[in-house]
Amino acid sequence: MPNQVTHRVCDFLKDIEPFSYLDRAVLLQVAARVEVRYQPPGTVVFRPGEPPRDRFYVVKEGTIELFSEDQSGEELLVERCGEGELFGIRPLLADDNYVFVARAAEESLLYAVNSEGFRDLIGNYPRVLQYLLASMAGSTRYARAYRAATAKSTAPAPDEVTPDLQALQFVQQSREPIVCQPEQTIIDAAKAMTEAEVGSIVVVDEAQHPVGIVTDRDLRRSVATALVSRQSPVSAIMSSPVVCIGERATIADVQIAMLRSGYHHLVQTADGTDRSAVTGVISEHDVLLAQGNHPAVLIQEIGRAKSPHYLRELRDRAEAILAGLLDKEVAISYITAVMTQINDAIIRKSMKLALARMQADGHGNPPALFDWLALGSQGRGEQLLRTDQDNALIFEDVPKEHYNAVKAYFLQLADYVTEYLNTAGYSYCDGNMMASNPKWCLSVAKWKAQFSRWMHDNTAEHLLNTSIFFDYRGVWGNGSLPDKLTAHIFAEMEGHSTRFQASLARAALQNPSPLTFFRNFVVERSGEHKDQFDLKARAMRPLTDAARILILSARKGNINNTFLRYEALAKLEPQNAQLYQDAAEAYEVLIRLRAVLGLKRGDSGRFVAPSELTRVQRLLLRNSFAPVREIQQLLELRFQLTFLR
Amino acid sequence: MEGSDWLDRLRYRFGSHATDSETGSWPEWYRNYRVTLAGRTVSPDQLLRELPIVVLDAETTGLQVTRDRILSLGALRVYGNSIHLAEKFEGYLPTPPHHTPGDSVAIHGIIPNSRRYTYSDEPTLLAELLDYLGASIIVGHHIGFDLEMINRSLARHGAGPLQNRIIDTAQLAKRLRPAGYWTPEGEYSLDSLARRYRIPLSDRHTALGDCYITAVLWLKLLTRLAIKIGHDLHLRDL
Repeated sequence: MPNQVTHRVCDFLKDIEPFSYLDRAVLLQVAARVEVRYQPPGTVVFRPGEPPRDRFYVVKEGTIELFSEDQSGEELLVERCGEGELFGIRPLLADDNYVFVARAAEESLLYAVNSEGFRDLIGNYPRVLQYLLASMAGSTRYARAYRAATAKSTAPAPDEVTPDLQALQFVQQSREPIVCQPEQTIIDAAKAMTEAEVGSIVVVDEAQHPVGIVTDRDLRRSVATALVSRQSPVSAIMSSPVVCIGERATIADVQIAMLRSGYHHLVQTADGTDRSAVTGVISEHDVLLAQGNHPAVLIQEIGRAKSPHYLRELRDRAEAILAGLLDKEVAISYITAVMTQINDAIIRKSMKLALARMQADGHGNPPALFDWLALGSQGRGEQLLRTDQDNALIFEDVPKEHYNAVKAYFLQLADYVTEYLNTAGYSYCDGNMMASNPKWCLSVAKWKAQFSRWMHDNTAEHLLNTSIFFDYRGVWGNGSLPDKLTAHIFAEMEGHSTRFQASLARAALQNPSPLTFFRNFVVERSGEHKDQFDLKARAMRPLTDAARILILSARKGNINNTFLRYEALAKLEPQNAQLYQDAAEAYEVLIRLRAVLGLKRGDSGRFVAPSELTRVQRLLLRNSFAPVREIQQLLELRFQLTFLR
Repeated sequence: MEGSDWLDRLRYRFGSHATDSETGSWPEWYRNYRVTLAGRTVSPDQLLRELPIVVLDAETTGLQVTRDRILSLGALRVYGNSIHLAEKFEGYLPTPPHHTPGDSVAIHGIIPNSRRYTYSDEPTLLAELLDYLGASIIVGHHIGFDLEMINRSLARHGAGPLQNRIIDTAQLAKRLRPAGYWTPEGEYSLDSLARRYRIPLSDRHTALGDCYITAVLWLKLLTRLAIKIGHDLHLRDL
């Protein structure tokens, strides 16, 4: 029988996550079991090592501060919880003892929520589970273990789990594949396709392994135009080899494979390669049916664009796709893959438009082989929103007497490309790190020399240049030139790796520990500061910098993506695998958060005012700081920076 | 009228030194209560935070102890610095027939015989209250009045008075900040103390709502008293 006091507690809790997800009747039950705990100023709520006794806390009035203790017994403020905030929930769910000291900063009243009943609710309220997982993500080990442990209980109600992970659903085994032998005639294959009412036929060998594919389009192109006789074997017109994918492929996998290959049909085989039997065919149409908004359509449209203004329009549409993907909480690896393809398509289109313009201006074709390089986040394939351009151009070595003319051509070309990109919404780089800058448009030999200089003379500017440049990726051109540069860099590093790497590592540690953010955050709330938090410099860059340095020192120059770098590092150093995994997950959280904020505000999402974050976002952000700090400590140790400083 | 009042007072006075004849006429529930109480002796050296505390409040038809009757009783347990909402006590009595609802309705908002509450009868409610109280220390604000109402009610049903140790939060507040030029006598009402110690005044004048406010006040006063005295509070300090 609920009474007034219970109702009062209930009224307070109902606006607070995760209680807000509960029905009133259930919340009343929770409220009826609340213990109201009074904490005089300076008194301790719990201490490290104590077990959580089936309760977690909501601050009703006052302020509770959580401190961590270092070896010397010094206390470091980790978080300050004000009215309506939760604490002490992680150890409870992880079956772990408290790790922090919780102490009342002022006279406080707490609601101690009995967790016994709460645990039972999790199964019925997936959003509560989601919230709890988010709040525990700080030590992802627990989150994983917990996810595994509760997977069963949440499984029966998949519809209720709100993030609609459509892109992660498995592609339906569409139909029995229609196959033919390579020697069969085109007309036979066409008949089989018509009979089965399908748009493609897989050409297989005796073992039913796919050797090629013939689609409607192939038939139109070759037979209908009478280029090839209808009596010719299908092997004459089939596309080969085929792009294969495994049976358990998700829509996301299929889309990535299609985007990468440019093919519209994928062959499903038993083991995902062309060395096993065909089990099905997935067409782009199948994917379109499965998922309404297809990035491939957009990329096609980018290919057809005739002006940079239209590119801008298309890039705006890409943002709608991005918003949808973020909203559905699709895996960030998929989102970055899609957005990188879109960004690349726009760069390529800008290049095509620029080359046409050069022709129109009477400059003719490029006088030498060249590669257009994407640098920075686009180079790493991690750019979601339109940020400043970072790019460079490298051309093959030419005789000295031609050098100036060749360079002049490429500078003019780069001028056009950067202009078009600017029109498309990628604004000019403040630091002028663009191919239109004479310093960033060089021949292979000059690039090598410039690199050597940067590495020998470790000024802050040079270190910044190298850090941007290590993340390069060829987007357009010959494709062979970037590798020459990479080879040179590694040869150089052999010589004086230690000092250079240490300098890079030191530069990476210039950004102060993000934990101070929460101190600022607290100060900001009491009105003394109005500082925003620099998501990029304080949290993301330390992670990308660390990944780059560690991968460089491991001599793995060809991995240019932060996630892939951490993945590779985890394999190289099993003893640190957990940390690298946590770092990658933290980076994922940060990328996502930045994109969500940027989309909401229509900017790059780099700066964040703590007040605009939801409680979950704050938790996620706070939790991502632990790996940042740990990875910085690892750098310090590994490169012995404590001695250098 | 005058005579029964006198008799009540006599019974009350002899309550703690009950004669055999009186003991024999006690209802069973009251005898059980006395047995529980006899089994628990509290030493004045015990730490206050280790003792079971019950915060009690009664809503009545008025302020005349001789004429008015209890309408509802509310109580909350306090252990150390925690108030346990799950272990609340709450009970309502129907408004006696000869009582015309007057000003008190405006105060406590209990509409006579409203269907919102499940009513019990007086002896049942008293028996449940004594069972809930056990040997706990009773804390209340201006608790003397509530006690008098309960004791008179107990007497009407042939039982002896409450025997628990009693602490009045109004007295505690007075001790912390004595009445004087700066603090007039009226400043010790629950309302003004709640305001002084910044306790939100919601659900005022419901038995349980008042209990809750009193319980928070009790915890806040104790802390301040401990600071004033300079050590953790023992029973003898009060």
